[in-house]
Amino acid sequence: MSEVIVITSGKGGVGKTTTTANLGMGLAMRGKKVVLVDTDTGLRNLDLLLGLENRIMYDLVDVTQGRVPYKKALVRHKKQESLFLLPTSQVKDKTAVNPEELVKLCTELRKEFDYILIDCPAGIEQGFQTAIAAADCAIVVTMPEISAVRDADKIIGELGRADKENVKLVVNRIRPQMVEKGDMLDMEDINDILSIECIGQVPDDEMVVTSTNRGEPCILMDHSLAGQAYRNIVGRILGEKVPFMTFPKEGFFSRLKRVFNL
Amino acid sequence: MSEEIVRIKGTKAGLQLLFAAGATYAAIEAEIREKLAAGSGFFCRGTVMHALAGSLPEEEMEKLRRLFHENGVIFSVSRAHFAPQAETQRPSPAQEAVQAASSQAAAGEETTQMVVVNRTLRGGQEVRTKCSVLVCGNVNPGAQIIAGGSIDIRGTCRGMVHAGAYGNQEAFVIADCLVPTQIRIADLIARAPDKTPAASERPTRPERASIKDGQIVIEPIER
Repeated sequence: MSEVIVITSGKGGVGKTTTTANLGMGLAMRGKKVVLVDTDTGLRNLDLLLGLENRIMYDLVDVTQGRVPYKKALVRHKKQESLFLLPTSQVKDKTAVNPEELVKLCTELRKEFDYILIDCPAGIEQGFQTAIAAADCAIVVTMPEISAVRDADKIIGELGRADKENVKLVVNRIRPQMVEKGDMLDMEDINDILSIECIGQVPDDEMVVTSTNRGEPCILMDHSLAGQAYRNIVGRILGEKVPFMTFPKEGFFSRLKRVFNL
Repeated sequence: MSEEIVRIKGTKAGLQLLFAAGATYAAIEAEIREKLAAGSGFFCRGTVMHALAGSLPEEEMEKLRRLFHENGVIFSVSRAHFAPQAETQRPSPAQEAVQAASSQAAAGEETTQMVVVNRTLRGGQEVRTKCSVLVCGNVNPGAQIIAGGSIDIRGTCRGMVHAGAYGNQEAFVIADCLVPTQIRIADLIARAPDKTPAASERPTRPERASIKDGQIVIEPIER
């Protein structure tokens, strides 16, 4: 019934938190009751992307150490009634939460929510081990770049070691023009190495930066390419067959603009 | 119903294909096509199908290989003496298999044993054994295999492989697509060219690396 999904990548900066925020928002828009759990203790960002920083009262560490019930720490999204955030602490570090505590918390959350998305910290150390402990399935985010793919491969291996076999791939920040010129890995190269099911190809989009700074996930923007890609991923998570989007070729005007450096 | 022409038997090393005696190739192919169409979920990407060498003529085996390949199934013809050995190995995660193998190796049966790894070795994973190694899957960049004997990879090799790690100059490395970062055999090392080859330049046939005249040479082979 309810599903715990961990969003992980190994390498930092590939868009784990962005993906978590957008997928959470997307699932909530489709009528699901969703909670986002930030496990990046000490480097929390998920609240910023959702524009909820000033509403945080308690955090994950307070909950796992039994100071408050989890319901008190949940922050409801401003606009989306069925989307909740369980923020983490900015002052503690990764040792403050252990895997058993998170499993226990997720068991409780399962009673209340349809989807529990866990935002995993970068790296393969304790923070990662804690984040994946409770997950039913994992979404590995990578970028069409050799180091990100290498780290994703390692992470898939680590997930396998922890008996997490249900692993899906999201390739983020694709730049179609560079792929076309052969300057960037294409999907075939990535599939060759990772060989797991891909559920999303998200183009690099300047609107992601704007939306991050504004605290509104880009899935809310109708004309954002990345937003469209995230909406497609949400559909696939819900079991729909959504074709992958084709990226528009660089048009005459944009090429002209680029030539004249506008 | 009469007896089935094609039987698929699960062994510990993977799936094995058995043919009824006296069956024609056309009948065999028709039945395999039917099975592939019916059980499309069963034959998931990367499933390994073994067939005994000699049970069909070479060119028919090649046709079957192509048929399975179209459906994402890895088809491998195993030499007859190969299969029972592979079956004696328990299908356990690489680490356990390695431990089991090394304890057996300690008992003095070194080169007669083989470690079978039935999955893809990903970056950071390592198989270290005194025996030979058979990998049914890929060896990804950052993964390494260190074997006392030879290494056979039924898939693409992009990692680091060391055959004959304890001095066996006769050891070799075979892979369906051999593009490793480094090949080491006994005390020799060969590395990949600095320029990464384009997809079109990658080898399309199985290759074997072995020592000839004090050098590591790579040559295409027939499986």
